[in-house]
Amino acid sequence: MIKHVHWIALLPLIASVVILLGSRDNTEKSRLPLLGVAVMGWCLLHSLLILAGVLSGRAEVPFYRTLPWFEFGGFEMTLGVLIDGTAAFMLVVVTLVSFLVQVYSLGYMHADPRFKRYFAYLSFFSASMLGLVISSNLMALFACWELVGVSSYLLIGFWFEGDAPAYAGKKAFITTKLGDLGFFVGLLLLFAYAQTFDLKMLPLHFQMGPGHMPAWVPTAVGVLLLCGAAGKSAQVPLFVWLPDAMEGPTPVSALIHAATMVAAGVYLVARTYFIYQAAPMALEAVAWVGLITAALAATMAVAAYDIKRVLAFSTVSQLGFMMLGLGVGGYTSGLFHLTTHGCFKALLFLCAGSVIHAVHTNDMRQMGGLSKKMPETFITMLIGAFAIAGFPFLSGWFSKEAILHDVYRFSPAMWCAALATAALTAFYMFRLVFLTFLGISRDHPRWEHAGESPPVMTVPLWILAALSIFAGLALEHNGIFAGAVCFGPAAAAEGAEAVAHAPNWLAWGAVGAFALGLAAAWRLYGTGDLSLASSLKRSLAGVFDILEDRYGFDRFFLALVRASDSLAAALYWFDSNIIDAIFVDGWALATRALAEVQRFFDDFFVDGAVDGVGALTRDGGLGLSRLMAGKVQEYLLFVALAVSLFATFIMTR
Amino acid sequence: MENLRLLIPEIVLSAMALLLMLAELFIPRRHSRILLHLALLASAAALGTLGLAASNPAVYQGAGSLWVVDPMSLFFKVIVLAATILVLMLAVDARRDDDAHLGSFAGLILLASAGMMLLVSAVDLLMVFLSLELISISSFILVGFERGDIKSAEGALKYYLIGAFSSALMVFGISLFYGATGTTHLLKPVPQFGYASSALFLLSTLMMLAGFGFKISMAPFHLWVPDAYEAAPTPITTFLSIAPKAAGLAMMLRVFTKLIPHPALEMTALFSFLAMLTMTVGNLTAIRQNNIKRLLAYSSIAQAGYMLIGFVTADAFGREGVLLYALAYLFMNAGAFAVAIAIGNEEGYELEAYDGLAQRSLGLAVVMAFFLLSLAGIPPLAGFVGKFYLFGAAVQSGFYGLAVVAVLNSVVSVYYYMRVTYHMFFLPPRATAPAQMGLYLYSGLALAAVAVILIGVYPEPFLSVVKSSAEMIP
Repeated sequence: MIKHVHWIALLPLIASVVILLGSRDNTEKSRLPLLGVAVMGWCLLHSLLILAGVLSGRAEVPFYRTLPWFEFGGFEMTLGVLIDGTAAFMLVVVTLVSFLVQVYSLGYMHADPRFKRYFAYLSFFSASMLGLVISSNLMALFACWELVGVSSYLLIGFWFEGDAPAYAGKKAFITTKLGDLGFFVGLLLLFAYAQTFDLKMLPLHFQMGPGHMPAWVPTAVGVLLLCGAAGKSAQVPLFVWLPDAMEGPTPVSALIHAATMVAAGVYLVARTYFIYQAAPMALEAVAWVGLITAALAATMAVAAYDIKRVLAFSTVSQLGFMMLGLGVGGYTSGLFHLTTHGCFKALLFLCAGSVIHAVHTNDMRQMGGLSKKMPETFITMLIGAFAIAGFPFLSGWFSKEAILHDVYRFSPAMWCAALATAALTAFYMFRLVFLTFLGISRDHPRWEHAGESPPVMTVPLWILAALSIFAGLALEHNGIFAGAVCFGPAAAAEGAEAVAHAPNWLAWGAVGAFALGLAAAWRLYGTGDLSLASSLKRSLAGVFDILEDRYGFDRFFLALVRASDSLAAALYWFDSNIIDAIFVDGWALATRALAEVQRFFDDFFVDGAVDGVGALTRDGGLGLSRLMAGKVQEYLLFVALAVSLFATFIMTR
Repeated sequence: MENLRLLIPEIVLSAMALLLMLAELFIPRRHSRILLHLALLASAAALGTLGLAASNPAVYQGAGSLWVVDPMSLFFKVIVLAATILVLMLAVDARRDDDAHLGSFAGLILLASAGMMLLVSAVDLLMVFLSLELISISSFILVGFERGDIKSAEGALKYYLIGAFSSALMVFGISLFYGATGTTHLLKPVPQFGYASSALFLLSTLMMLAGFGFKISMAPFHLWVPDAYEAAPTPITTFLSIAPKAAGLAMMLRVFTKLIPHPALEMTALFSFLAMLTMTVGNLTAIRQNNIKRLLAYSSIAQAGYMLIGFVTADAFGREGVLLYALAYLFMNAGAFAVAIAIGNEEGYELEAYDGLAQRSLGLAVVMAFFLLSLAGIPPLAGFVGKFYLFGAAVQSGFYGLAVVAVLNSVVSVYYYMRVTYHMFFLPPRATAPAQMGLYLYSGLALAAVAVILIGVYPEPFLSVVKSSAEMIP
């Protein structure tokens, strides 16, 4: 089974081409999107079998197989697959969410005029994302990384009739590209010192110790790769694109901007973890970036009113948690959170999509009381909120617990900050649920119009809700996840030992944070009386302004763009004015001036001289002309004679 | 006469060029497209003889006193001829005001490419100068070929003035070179490094660099590019953006990394600066353009800047990078211009013409996106492999600053390439009819698209060609 793992990436690619070019009928009457769904279902099945093989030990991991790709500067470059426990889990997350989102989209996008193209883009995205997951080579991984970016660009801007989506797509692409700058330079540096991109060979280079490469190289490579990861995974300061990316269709947000693509940065750090092992400073940078992101994004989520943007900030925050986990040495816990987060965040987004589908607005101020109208969506979303907020024994609790443990071992101060963030998580999630579903409806016509979504949309919700409840428990049981996903056997043993020695009250800290957040949210938003919330908002107006301004990051990047734009304008102006003036007009001017001077010279000297000489010649010529008889032939004869004479003189000198 | 066979491809081209100019008088205007077909035939024949030279090195490669035929010159001759063929194919389907003088049109293209083929083989400065002039004069006329158009005339004039200026500089440089070394033969001055410190020699090198820089649109000698490119008939723009650039680069590779290597002259910092300047100026100025031809013109300046990286390192790695990039650049730039022609035939060259192209002709929009993404260096397309090779060479030789500037530049370039994509995919179409394409345009486009993807996905065969072609005879 695992031998054919490359088809998991190739089949969706083929499917996307077939769907895109297959028929001219673009609407939902086209049957081609079903091909995409079927292919993704097959991929899901295949991934599950691979995971089962890995977990049961029937399949040997890491599974590694390559083909020669090309030779680069004398070094063989290979193209291949590398499947370890991490990749196997990642495959399941990606194919599962992809499959469910595609099914859900059959309902959500049913009236879209570009129905078919949407599914082609989705399949293309899945193909590149799966390629990224299985690739054994950083170069091929980078290629898929960029393709993922391209498909995200196309999908964010999918509803290009408005200005905002197309702008958001561009913003996302350029911002992540800024991070890729670091990725690319990191790759170049890596190549200069290790001469390979193969993920199986590279660790050897980094384990050889300081004699093999200068000490600064692992740190530099680690930080540069972190730049790329920060762009893709929306970490500080490059997170600005993700809230805007919510302009895309909601299933796309669930798939790309919640569960899969944004996790690619975390996955990259995990895949290149050996580099960070050799560079403790870079690893600590990962931790700090994660912590700062988690905290800042959580505060920004508190001030947002757009239901999808709250979820977007929440995604940023949770990705920060994963980075934090990886950064403090918790390889397993960071990836565990990635896996569980994939389930409940996709669930939350799809629920939000169901709500938006019903009320046709994103603004929570126009919702309220929807629990009566859409009970299934309400219950599933409540499950998602409990899971992400860390209610005991739901999946988010296990993974967040694990991260917090690792953070505590690393630094209790960071643990405090992370705990505060966890409390904020509970607060903004329940704020969202209460504002949307409880209380009275604040926009009655919309409320009247709202209704439960069709089964094609709610069934995926229930599946994801079940996973949000049970995935954590199932994977934690007997250390299944920790057994399959660990960084080296030594680290696993050490980790197990450390968990055993961690103080017991740690677990209660997270539960306390959850309870605190829930209580605060209930007091402010749960009772249907928002007067306390609005008075609080008035008295803290300054803080809210900063939060809504996203701490000024957007303005910073806009200023950056504007600066480069005005530099470009200046250059263009220079090119078209100064240079034109100097070279073309100046040339013309100089030529004209020269001509004037020449004319003056001509008029006063040459002409004068000519006239004078003419007069003289005329007088003298009268005499000479008699001598020469005035024939042209004779003039030429004289000239010829004169030239021959000069030549003779020179030659015989 | 002994080694005249080394010149067969050039002879074929020149003979056909002269024939075409004569034939124009005898062929009725409605059949005049046959002249373009004849030119295509001659280029294909020349390409065939090049194949002969590559397969039979003992007979068909070697050194004369003025020119050498070696793997590198053969490689660039192939690039020049491939560009010529692509351009002639585009010319068949490009819209023209009238079909008069098609013979001179095709003939001048062939003469220019003969000049380029001589240039990439030249090892004597006089030969260099003569072939450069052959290229320049043919191009001056070609740029101003649409005589009814005042812009065309302006562009041609500008091109001519600056071209003449740089030719003068260059010929001055050559005379100084002669003064310093007593020869114009580049293989002769054996104790060449003895001259390195002489001010006269340096001055001559600088002046020649200015002359070459003009041809490859190196900043600050790039000023003619946007106007000439915009003014010229679009197939000629395609031609000028690829072939002379490749030929000029080949010449510079021979001169500045082999015959009088710039590290020996301690001019590496200068080259590094010029590379950075060229790519930065090209990219930043391109951001403001709203005309596809001008946008691609500035982008081609930036692309030349990337290729200059291979000069800075001046080793085999960098040289291979230039060759590979030139190959990738040939296809991606020709492809982008081919789409520009397909759209421009009906709707002009402003970016608005691309609005909603994905709705009208999805295939055209997708291949254009491929070409632009490849130019921007997005993997897994040809441009990425080329960029990676070049930037890798820079890092390998320790030019970290240069590599960072180059990567930063490719990020900036994404911004304006994506603008076109934005118009194609994210704006409502202004017309509903699919864009019309002739057979030749279509096949040229398909060829370029396949090449761009193939080089990106499976570069091995191209890389092995590049590696064996990076050798020079002397």
